[in-house]
Amino acid sequence: MMTKRVGISAGTALACFLTLTAVGRADTISYADAVTTLAKECGSDIKKFCNGQNLGNGRIQACLGKNASKVSPSCTSTLGSVMTSIAQRQEAQASVFKVCQHDISQYCNGVKGDGNILSCLVETKRVDNRECNQAITDAGWR
Amino acid sequence: MIVQALRISVALGLLLAPCVASAQQLDNSQIMSTLGQVKSAAPAVDVALLVEEANANVGKGVAALPNWSKLSELSQLIVEIDFENNSTAIEPKSYRTVGLIADALHHPDLFRYKFLIVGHSSATGTAKHNLELSQKRADAINEALSTTFAVSPDRLFSVGAGEEWPIDPGHPESADNRRVQLINLGLLK
Repeated sequence: MMTKRVGISAGTALACFLTLTAVGRADTISYADAVTTLAKECGSDIKKFCNGQNLGNGRIQACLGKNASKVSPSCTSTLGSVMTSIAQRQEAQASVFKVCQHDISQYCNGVKGDGNILSCLVETKRVDNRECNQAITDAGWR
Repeated sequence: MIVQALRISVALGLLLAPCVASAQQLDNSQIMSTLGQVKSAAPAVDVALLVEEANANVGKGVAALPNWSKLSELSQLIVEIDFENNSTAIEPKSYRTVGLIADALHHPDLFRYKFLIVGHSSATGTAKHNLELSQKRADAINEALSTTFAVSPDRLFSVGAGEEWPIDPGHPESADNRRVQLINLGLLK
């Protein structure tokens, strides 16, 4: 049973990735899943061409880009979709307060502190604003 | 003291099934429940003093020093993050662990807290070099979290402990002593 569920989840995540690459828009994936895919598809290229370089400040991205002619095609396309997903998740997290302003004032009125407001919003089942719901999902909070 | 170790076997297990939502949620909830248990009486820690104490006591251990001893009273998590030999570069196989930490730090439950990243090393090489390298490695994780994963830099602090606080004091050269500690420093003011 467990094995079947794992297979389906992995397949779904892969489908998300393929969709993301093809049409440029899908639900985001977690940062952990994004960089796991990066490590899987680009790990050997990173070891070969970016020795000593770090994940921070876009250095791995820049290094793989600089060596694009030598890097494997699957790494290059993975890098693009991973960076897109990370950016979308960051945008969603940054935009939730704005996009969900109405729902926050309606359902979380009087709640203090950004973390508490977000927890209230995520726990609110009656959020009916489609954009707000999408932002919460893309932010990875639901 | 609340300590939970995320062992490499767990990390490797996750790598074999990188997109498994159920396993990943379990892991995130582990991280969040461990790091989110903040006691109201938790002591305030001055990171600059930690650095000062460690540098003034190279080779003598840090666990008993006034500011370092406060750390054991805070919520913390031990993770293994592998680096290239004698370098600050995080091995690709450890990217997932950094990503898991980033996911947890962005969760609303941990949104209000600031965190200390403590780098540790085994006792191979000189104590001074190990202290410097572990500080740079903790800084590298800090940088990855605050740039690639957009964790607000004012929530993140880093410090190196070198070989001065072994998890396995009987075997100072053991690989178990190479680890990263993530400590909840309390509410962001």
